[in-house]
Amino acid sequence: MPAAIETEGLSKDFLVGFWRPRPYRALDALTLSVEPGEVFGFLGPNGAGKSTTLKLLMQLIYPTSGAARILGKPVGDVGVRQRISFLAENPYFYDYLTAEEVLAYFAKLFDYSGADVTARVARVLDEVGIGAERRMRLRGYSKGMLQRVGLAQALINDPEVVFLDEPMSGLDPIGRRQVRDLILRLKQRGCTVFFSSHILSDAEALCSRVAIMAQGRLVASGALHEMVAFELKGWDLVAANVSEALRATLEGQVRSITAIADGQYMIDVPAEVAPERILIDLARGGARVISLHPVRDTLEDFFIRQVNSAAPRETGIS
Amino acid sequence: MRAIRLVAGAVFRESVRDRVPYSMVIFAILLMAASYLISQLTAGQDMKIVKDLGLAALSIFGLLIAVFLGIGLVSKEVERKSIFGLLTKPVSRTQFIIGKYTGLVATLIINLGVMTVAYYAVLAYMQYVSAPTVRASWPAPAMDPRLLIAVVLIVAELALVTAIALFFSTFSSPLLATLLTLGLWLAGHFNTDLRNFGAVVDSAPIVAIARGLYYLLPNLAPFDVKAEVVHGLPVSARHVLLTLLYAVIYSGALLTAAIAIFRRRDFK
Amino acid sequence: MTELRQGYGGQARPAVAPLLAAVALLMTVSVSVQVVRDRGWTPYQPENPLLWVQSGPLLQRLALGFDNLVADVYWIRAVVYYGGKRTAEQQQMNYDLLYPLLDLVTTLDPHFRVAYRFGAIFLTEAYPRGPARPDLAVRLLQRGIERDYQRWEYFHDIGFVYYWWLRDYPKAAEWFLKGANQPNAPEWLRPLAATTLASGGDRATARHLWTQLLNSDMSYIKAQAEHRLLQLDAMDAIAELTPILQRFVDRERRIPRSWQELASAERLARVPADPTGVPFVFDPKVGRIEVSRKSTLWPLPFDPRRTEAPQ
Repeated sequence: MPAAIETEGLSKDFLVGFWRPRPYRALDALTLSVEPGEVFGFLGPNGAGKSTTLKLLMQLIYPTSGAARILGKPVGDVGVRQRISFLAENPYFYDYLTAEEVLAYFAKLFDYSGADVTARVARVLDEVGIGAERRMRLRGYSKGMLQRVGLAQALINDPEVVFLDEPMSGLDPIGRRQVRDLILRLKQRGCTVFFSSHILSDAEALCSRVAIMAQGRLVASGALHEMVAFELKGWDLVAANVSEALRATLEGQVRSITAIADGQYMIDVPAEVAPERILIDLARGGARVISLHPVRDTLEDFFIRQVNSAAPRETGIS
Repeated sequence: MRAIRLVAGAVFRESVRDRVPYSMVIFAILLMAASYLISQLTAGQDMKIVKDLGLAALSIFGLLIAVFLGIGLVSKEVERKSIFGLLTKPVSRTQFIIGKYTGLVATLIINLGVMTVAYYAVLAYMQYVSAPTVRASWPAPAMDPRLLIAVVLIVAELALVTAIALFFSTFSSPLLATLLTLGLWLAGHFNTDLRNFGAVVDSAPIVAIARGLYYLLPNLAPFDVKAEVVHGLPVSARHVLLTLLYAVIYSGALLTAAIAIFRRRDFK
Repeated sequence: MTELRQGYGGQARPAVAPLLAAVALLMTVSVSVQVVRDRGWTPYQPENPLLWVQSGPLLQRLALGFDNLVADVYWIRAVVYYGGKRTAEQQQMNYDLLYPLLDLVTTLDPHFRVAYRFGAIFLTEAYPRGPARPDLAVRLLQRGIERDYQRWEYFHDIGFVYYWWLRDYPKAAEWFLKGANQPNAPEWLRPLAATTLASGGDRATARHLWTQLLNSDMSYIKAQAEHRLLQLDAMDAIAELTPILQRFVDRERRIPRSWQELASAERLARVPADPTGVPFVFDPKVGRIEVSRKSTLWPLPFDPRRTEAPQ
């Protein structure tokens, strides 16, 4: 089964400057592949090349070198567009049309007609949570509502692959939760979701695999739990009934002991120390364990570390 | 084909809901009604004034609609980024351009049609209220069907201007595209002076350049038969047909160039 | 990923060479359509072409501050109008709009020196090369004096009109003198005034004037000077031939019926020609030797010493 999305050596230079344009390498030899049915997170700070990659995949811009395929066909194949969809960052549609009219327009472009169009439009608007406002012109919509219309138009053709550029941007926490749930529903239907974000907690909750971009280059990719797993930093242990003597004994072995309440402490156990030993000491000392949590490096810490060590961007002159 | 029809329909729907062309049409109709009042001040030249003003209104307002909607066709979509939603659907870039153009030409035809109906209504009223002796003095009848020839040529000229506007809007910002289109429209009306250079200037290379520019720049003066039609002078069918043919061919060239540019563009 | 390498294609920027070829082809066709159409079409010539707005002050308001540019546009129209009329058919040869056009140009741009000076030349040209209105030329130049810092050129040009076209030598000398009193005036204006006073009407003085203008840096004036000097040569030649004619008349007591008769009677080698090589003609009805109408020197400027035909 071919990959849903693949790129090989995909690069893009932009010419910057008016009098003597110089090439600015927005994307440098990106090679990745996304399997069907995956939720793939494309992560990185602003300017890392995420939007550029998405636009190259949708053939809104043309590559300087390299290749890309979607569902086995070269990018830009008009037939494939029937089976995929795209949501741009901060989407804007036609403000003189209502949500229903915009979606009906797009549905007809997908070659649906008549009652099918009406049914699809209604279904998709329900799914993204737009109610009576659907008959209002887009001119009056808030940013969050426009984002929902954007998601709706990305769903209207029941796509196999969905490309989302910063789908959570501009949404309040409720909105973000709704988008997250939507992506999970898509995954359940077997849809491949490729989305870019600089908000990392969303990736942690949703993605099976991620790629991390910095300054136009891919700096890390793989399954999230594998990438983060070995970055176990330690354990958080909460215990009660800890006597002063016991506390003094433990102080040397652990990173810190912080008092929460009378006799109750939060113990920061470093990774090198086996938590079992501390537990035995606590048991012998008559303390009671309330909770024990592993402290893993978050994606954010990992990400910041990767970005700081990434080489500066090439000018793209070969 | 379906995609072209859908894009064209969207253009028409936008023009109906956009306040600008809507107001143009209303304004033109009001002007024509007002022209009747103005004509009462001109002591005998009233029919000429009404006809002149009406055709001028059709021309000017049609031009404004063609330019401002024409620029918005592409420039505005690119600037506001609504083009991302459209080009990622199963529509080719070629279909996009052709659809936009046909949509706007259809809009122009309908808008000018409405204005022409109002125009003829005013003329009919004048016919009705004027005494038979006054009517006999007119060089051409009030509801002269030959006025339609002038209207048809105005529409053809505007279709050409729309193609110019569309062409410029594929690669420049809305403001720049507007200025370039209006500039080229102006140059197109002064074009006949270029043709006469040979009679006045001695230098052969300059005359050759002037001639070259005359043929390459859009030549809009032949579309203007308003004066002949108002005075009842003949307009040859050959002239009309060849001018229409020219409009079709030149617009075709501009559209092809627009498609070529648009297909190669990056939309960041 | 190997299948990806094989499948690379359709992603590079689309080639547009065939489209550009189509554009070139269509433009070529459009040019041929225009050529065919233009054969049967002349632009409509309304009664008052070119002016659009007849009143200077109104146009100034409409020009919205771009007065100089609009003045240029009207100046070009004036030049084209004048040139067009010169080459036009006989019945369309009226120059009625020339002065109004020049009036508009100089109202919009009062310092448009060329418009005053060339305009005056256009206005004075004898029919059919021009409207033959030296009075309008003087009026135009006087406005130049009022509005453009009293430049000496305008005084000189007015004097010239009086000298050459109106044959009013005292007035001409008066204007030359006024011009000589302006700042930056050339040294030859004063002697010219004196010469004009003393012997106006003399071809020698006229020749002196035109020779001065041969040095002008405006090519149109220089061309005029060359043309006028040739005319003066023709007039000198006619002056030499006139005694021959007089001899015939005295002897035969009648006016010769034709050149051939005169030439054979007086044993002239061949029919004499003017400086451009076109033979002179003899008009038996008025009894005068003239420059041929086919010559570029026709019509000769009026010379008061040749008013009467030989008796």
